[in-house]
Amino acid sequence: MAKVQVLNVAVLDNPSPFGNPFQFEVTFECMEDLPEDLEWKIIYVGSAESEEYDQTLDSVLVGPVPAGRHMFVFQADAPNTGLIPESDAVGVTVVLITCTYRGQEFIRIGYYVNNEYTDTELRENPPLKPDYGQLQRNILASNPRVTRFHINWEGCAEKMEDSENVDPAPIAMRPPSCTPGKAPPLGLVPDNSMDCL
Amino acid sequence: DKLTRPWLPVSKPIFSVDIHPDGTKFATGGQGEDSGKVVIWNMAPVLREEDERNENIPKLLCQMDNHLACVNCVRWSNNGLYLASGGDDKLVMVWKRAAFIGPSAVFGSSSKLANVEQWRCVMILRNHTGDVMDVAWSPHDVWLASCSVDNTIVIWNARKFPEIVMTLKGHTGLVKGLTWDPVGKYIASQADDRSLKVWRTMDWQLETNITKPFSECGGTTHVLRLSWSPDGQYLVSAHAMNNSGPTAQIIERDGWKTNMDFVGHRKAVTVVKFNPKIFKKKQKNGSTPKPSCPYCCCAVGSKDRSLSVWLTSLKRPLVVIHDLFDKSIMDITWTLNGLGLLVCSMDGTVAFLDFSQDELGDPLNEEEKNAIHQNIYGKSLAITMESQLSSTIIENPEMLKYQQERQVNQNPNEAQGIGPESQTPKLTNVLNGESLEDIRKNLLNKQVETRTADGRRRITPLCIAQLDTGATAAVNSIGMKSNLLLTSASKIEPMKALDSRFTERSKATPGVTSVPLTIGITPLDRVKDCSSVKEPKGKDETSSDSEDKIMVKSMAKRKGEMEGAEVVEKRKKGRPRKDAKMMPISQPFPQVTFLLSKDKEPSRLTTPIAVLKLPTPSIQKSFSTQVSTDGVTYLEVENEVSVVSGSRLSQLKWSREGREWDALLPSRIIIAAGSNDVVAVACEDRTLSVFTACGRRLIPSIILPAPMSALHCSRHFVMALTASATLSVWDVQKQTALVKNESLNPILSGTDATVSQSFLTQQGVAVVSLSNGKTYCFNSSLETWNLIADKQDSLVQCTDFRNCVSAQDALGSMGPLALTQGRNLSAGRLASRLSSTPHHLQQGMTLAFLEKQLSSALVLLSASEYRHWLLIYARFLVNEGYELRLRELCQDLLGPVHKSSSSSWEPTVLGLRKRDLLTEVLPVIGQNLRFQRLFTEYQDQLELLRLK
Repeated sequence: MAKVQVLNVAVLDNPSPFGNPFQFEVTFECMEDLPEDLEWKIIYVGSAESEEYDQTLDSVLVGPVPAGRHMFVFQADAPNTGLIPESDAVGVTVVLITCTYRGQEFIRIGYYVNNEYTDTELRENPPLKPDYGQLQRNILASNPRVTRFHINWEGCAEKMEDSENVDPAPIAMRPPSCTPGKAPPLGLVPDNSMDCL
Repeated sequence: DKLTRPWLPVSKPIFSVDIHPDGTKFATGGQGEDSGKVVIWNMAPVLREEDERNENIPKLLCQMDNHLACVNCVRWSNNGLYLASGGDDKLVMVWKRAAFIGPSAVFGSSSKLANVEQWRCVMILRNHTGDVMDVAWSPHDVWLASCSVDNTIVIWNARKFPEIVMTLKGHTGLVKGLTWDPVGKYIASQADDRSLKVWRTMDWQLETNITKPFSECGGTTHVLRLSWSPDGQYLVSAHAMNNSGPTAQIIERDGWKTNMDFVGHRKAVTVVKFNPKIFKKKQKNGSTPKPSCPYCCCAVGSKDRSLSVWLTSLKRPLVVIHDLFDKSIMDITWTLNGLGLLVCSMDGTVAFLDFSQDELGDPLNEEEKNAIHQNIYGKSLAITMESQLSSTIIENPEMLKYQQERQVNQNPNEAQGIGPESQTPKLTNVLNGESLEDIRKNLLNKQVETRTADGRRRITPLCIAQLDTGATAAVNSIGMKSNLLLTSASKIEPMKALDSRFTERSKATPGVTSVPLTIGITPLDRVKDCSSVKEPKGKDETSSDSEDKIMVKSMAKRKGEMEGAEVVEKRKKGRPRKDAKMMPISQPFPQVTFLLSKDKEPSRLTTPIAVLKLPTPSIQKSFSTQVSTDGVTYLEVENEVSVVSGSRLSQLKWSREGREWDALLPSRIIIAAGSNDVVAVACEDRTLSVFTACGRRLIPSIILPAPMSALHCSRHFVMALTASATLSVWDVQKQTALVKNESLNPILSGTDATVSQSFLTQQGVAVVSLSNGKTYCFNSSLETWNLIADKQDSLVQCTDFRNCVSAQDALGSMGPLALTQGRNLSAGRLASRLSSTPHHLQQGMTLAFLEKQLSSALVLLSASEYRHWLLIYARFLVNEGYELRLRELCQDLLGPVHKSSSSSWEPTVLGLRKRDLLTEVLPVIGQNLRFQRLFTEYQDQLELLRLK
């Protein structure tokens, strides 16, 4: 079970001019003290066509996280307009908030974002080159898409457990030469060599 | 009966249902959207139609989707504080209600229903390696049992989660049902291996294995929920077969006989649930009350989608409801009053049935039910844990008063933990009085942001509630209410390409071998159910469209993911189970070698003991001794002070605080001894002279058979130990002999030991300690030597009664017994080192030791020590549950209530009134509720005698 449950994400400063920073107020609950920080990212999807145009607006570490309920505001600068295909600047796209623990993503919260001109004139006759100064960003805050992933919260601890679980029998069957450095020279078998066998 | 069709807006299968002990809510467990789902519902709308219609009365109280996979079982603890759930994710979760202020919803869930109550997972119990099928709390919530498709049953210590008490192994198939017997003596389990097993809770061993009624069964039912009748007499199984017909097998506790069954269902029985009440026939007005046998009521649910309700007093079912659901019945729960019944089904619905008392009968009250248990199982329940009895009903006001007094005296914290509501976790508000709204306004400016060494931003989150107290402070308004303007939401055209981005992890994320569980994915066999989900409100057309699309998309992807999941599964199977294995007790019984002092010490007794000889003191010219402690009294002896007419006189001089007297004796004085009352001197001519404290001669010179070896005075007793190893004790006041020239042969023969110490108690009991560490006293009534202390006694060294000794007891332990055992009383010294000594062994040794102490104190006529050990003994008996001994003890102390000449009962022991002792012992007994009957019985009789 996930140690961290996201209870709520409030979208602040919405709708807002395109150039304003994104602001998400995240409330989450943690079942037990986390030894490591959580890493949160805001990813702006520049184009539906390709992940190539994804921009990680910012990534931030959040910690320390003791057991309990916490909140923070994650603010990230607006996307670099230079990296957005001009044809995709206006219209619907997606902004993603992801959280990873020990490098594993366990939650992904997605919002539809609608970028449009507030000016009716511009709306009806949009310029070929998008005028970002006139664009308004509207995040569909009421409809978050939350995807939870099952991760290994214990991190490397689990790997250790797994190695412990290797059936000891094959090791016991292994000839002593398989453990280099420990193998005694032939003819000089020490008394405790029985242990190896 | 009334049948209410369910209103629950649930469309996923419901596998389990359980009504809270307070009857105000019930829990269901089953399949959620992408996880297992536990839901807590309000009971009121189920019970009353007007509440159902009332919009202000919430139906849903809380939903929890923490389980990663389908929830197979939900069960409330008997005290109602906890809910346990078990699921396909191999986990057992224990839930507790957290303090709440306002409703909240599961973030991002499609359901907009808010949680009215906050239930938090307080414990995750991991041990099973397969789906958990059933969980069950033991009576008094001492244990929680869970069973699984890994063929095991795990008994968890419910007072110390996640401690495992025992893993019950023996089933060779998926274990699909559990039930405790009502007194907690057994737990029964039913499995796909065509067996029903009954396990003892005493030692967690198999009591019986029943296979015959199940030999024809196939593993075709999802669950096999069996049930034990509330009177404990019958155990009824789920799916059994008789003559190729499906039945519910009745198993009698008495001999585990399987002669009866419930017949009639057309398909396998999935669940049996006894009504918690025991009933008796309803007395009709006017008719003469006839004594009738109490009976039980049992509901049986089957895969044939029908439900039958039986009374054990009737041959035919009380009621049968056919085609109650569209799919198999999965679980049944009764209301606590026994008149209502909730049934859940795989089809995702729950039905409520309502009975009247005319139909079922008059339920017995708790007292009557308890009386039945007492009748059947005796006064002493099998379980010895005192804590388990905390919820025992206190049966009479005297006991209640006593228990209440006790609780007041105890730590008030302890007394608090009883009421169910007193456990409601306290809020720990960490917001320092600021409202959450204020904080939110400035959070961005206020929150601490630093840079890590590599220049990354790091935000310290604002802690708004600490979880460990179970509190979830003032986070309420955040809910899912969005105060934002949804401008042109309808204009947003969902784009397929974008949709996939919601669920696919970015490639940059280092992929671990974990299985993505995405929204909208449900197991394939439940596709039909989930595709039929239609949320009637709370969603606009477009977004629900998009959701469906996502669902379809993810369905297509599912196959691949499933395979991945299986790989993970297999990998995990290689893990060794973390069973709590009992360490074999390899440490042998402590070997204490009895030192028989074979090493020859230089002794005057080198010759074989033909004639025993004790050393005599050499004659000194003069010596003095201090004889009495209160008022410094000295005896001064000066031999051959003067020669008068040829005979040499010796002088004995007594002095106390300035007063003094002296006496002249014709022979040289060897030993002088004295007490407050008497002074005795032994002379070379084998005479013994006894004087009063004022110097008056009491008796003419006593001629001793041999020279004096040791001489003691105590009060008006004189003890003489002669060189020929004989003992005499006289009461010089009464001028009688208590011990007449008794030989020490019985205690000295066969050993090389010598007398190392001797003394006389205040009561005139002679005590002789030998060099081999043994101490004896002469019991003048039995005319025998009694062993009262042995430094090498293994019993002494292995006892452990420290928890029975109270602080004030230290005072009472002064006396001759303590003197002989002295500092060498090493009781319990080894106890800690012998922690591996089996408990029953140590228990037996302690019991033996305490009884020895008691009898020794008796022989030594040491009243204060007798009382001291009596109380320790009583406490030990109470703690360890020795009822028979306790009863005998009480009986002896109480004596016959009515005077009779034939009775040989002595009202006093060592000058202590026995009934006074009983008055002291009774509160000790009252500390254990198990012995409340005993307490009451003797308390009443004492009271009766007092009134006489």
